Amino acid sequence: MISSEFKYICPKSIEEALERFGEFQGEAVYLSGGTDLVPRMKLGLKKPRAVIDLKDVASMSTVAEEGDYIRIGSLAQLFQLKQTDLVSNRFPALAASLEATSCETLQVRGTIGGNLLQNTRCLFYNQSEFWRRSKGFCLKMGGEKCNAVPGAKKCFANYTSDNAPALCTLQAEVAFAGPNGSRRFKLESLYTGRSDDPFDLEPGEILTDIFVPNKTVAGGYEKLRVRGAVDYPLLGVAFSRGSDSGRLAVGAVGPRPYTVELNEPAQDAMGEAVATVINQVKTVENTVLESAYRKRMIPVLAERLIKKVMEGAE
Amino acid sequence: MMERYNVSLKVNGELVALNVRAGETLLESLRERLELTGAKEGCGLGACGSCTVLLNGLPTRSCIVMTAELDGAEVQSIEGLADGTDLDPLQERFMEKGAVQCGFCTSGMIMTAKGLLNRNPKADKGDIIRTMSSNLCRCTGYKKIVEAVEAVSSMSEPENK
Ligand SMILES: Cc1cc2nc3c(=O)[nH]c(=O)nc-3n(C[C@H](O)[C@H](O)[C@H](O)COP(=O)(O)OP(=O)(O)OC[C@H]3O[C@@H](n4cnc5c(N)ncnc54)[C@H](O)[C@@H]3O)c2cc1C
Ligand code: FES
Ligand code: FES
Repeated sequence: MISSEFKYICPKSIEEALERFGEFQGEAVYLSGGTDLVPRMKLGLKKPRAVIDLKDVASMSTVAEEGDYIRIGSLAQLFQLKQTDLVSNRFPALAASLEATSCETLQVRGTIGGNLLQNTRCLFYNQSEFWRRSKGFCLKMGGEKCNAVPGAKKCFANYTSDNAPALCTLQAEVAFAGPNGSRRFKLESLYTGRSDDPFDLEPGEILTDIFVPNKTVAGGYEKLRVRGAVDYPLLGVAFSRGSDSGRLAVGAVGPRPYTVELNEPAQDAMGEAVATVINQVKTVENTVLESAYRKRMIPVLAERLIKKVMEGAE
Repeated sequence: MMERYNVSLKVNGELVALNVRAGETLLESLRERLELTGAKEGCGLGACGSCTVLLNGLPTRSCIVMTAELDGAEVQSIEGLADGTDLDPLQERFMEKGAVQCGFCTSGMIMTAKGLLNRNPKADKGDIIRTMSSNLCRCTGYKKIVEAVEAVSSMSEPENK
């Protein structure tokens, strides 16, 4: 049961969705598959006055070639997407990250748009209201302190989208429709770098499409998790390689994916790239695995993955 | 402001009309209004699979779906699997192979397997393990569950027996 009261609204077009959003002065949320949102509402982490369901906005669920890009509608279901030839043939990094996401039953309901806009997670945040109240509210709940790192003045929740790192290595762009018009930008620019408020968006903006440059790129994805099924990533490493350069992106170890370009995906460039990522990452004790271990696994997974992709490409 | 929503559903082949708060989940509607208590609430957060039913033919964790979103949908729960006293082959094999201990996960396991076999009637052991491992069972150790699903899957392919 979701105990808070809210209105359920199911508009038929983007325009209608934006208009309805406007009626609630920022206290509405959008719903796609609900596999991230509904658990958060059940835990009382989100108490909107209205839930605006995007499911009936038909234009947002198609996947098609569009000139230099493949356009992926934000409502495309993860399960359906990983079986789409355009994705599995051209973007192996994305196919692999989709395969690694949650489990089949959740992939059938979850969408790629919801996947990118899922909220950041922390062992001390994704808990019941009773639990959180007993512990004392943390920064991400509007409290004064971080419950993961005593004394910290900022939040360390992790952004655990499996597919965002893969899409970053593919140089994907995201398109939004908002109350003040539409815009399109690099996926990497979506993030604020702040765990308590991870997305650099205006209130009411709707993710409509993801655009991936239309060229076949070798690649893959490696995920660290405790159980082989269902678990969120405790670290995710994606790699894609074009003809003369490659991109490595690391996720689930901070508020956004960390992406580096490798001009020449050879052995020594690799070490440097991995070091660049590691220098930006600060893992803390807010998951079920020790933070030092998660960090040490970055080069392990990166090397394993790059080697596999390079060998496959030869 | 206690707004309510009229939702008509087809549940196990029968039309039902519900009037719900926006925050009511499909699992609650099934268990508490329709008295279909086969689907179980384990985690309540989409993580364990014990609440799995088929929603428009697809396996779905009913604890994280709002009934208000489902007007016009078709739901099949474990109660709708048997045809009178003729059990579904999955139910038969779960009994035969001893794939049930406490039984809490069982309806979710069977509905998840049903979803898999609807999509892929010839699912092999690898497919079955991949799909079924997303549901938590704290008793059986999975081996017998996988065997039960395998037995039904291969039934459509007698040459592989
Ligand atoms: C047990 C469990 C395990 C999981 N494991 C993983 C995992 O391994 N990897 C992983 O990446 N995720 C995982 N998830 C999270 C989630 O299932 C997926 O990220 C899924 O893709 C989310 O998509 P959705 O359509 O269900 O999102 P929703 O819950 O509908 O939406 C997510 C967020 O995005 C907003 N939103 C949705 N669509 C739009 C839009 N078009 N425009 C603007 N805002 C929008 C919503 O308001 C909400 O805040 C898991 C979830 C559960 C319950
Ligand atoms: S009770 Fe629904 S997944 Fe656990
Ligand atoms: S039989 Fe007890 S949880 Fe599976």
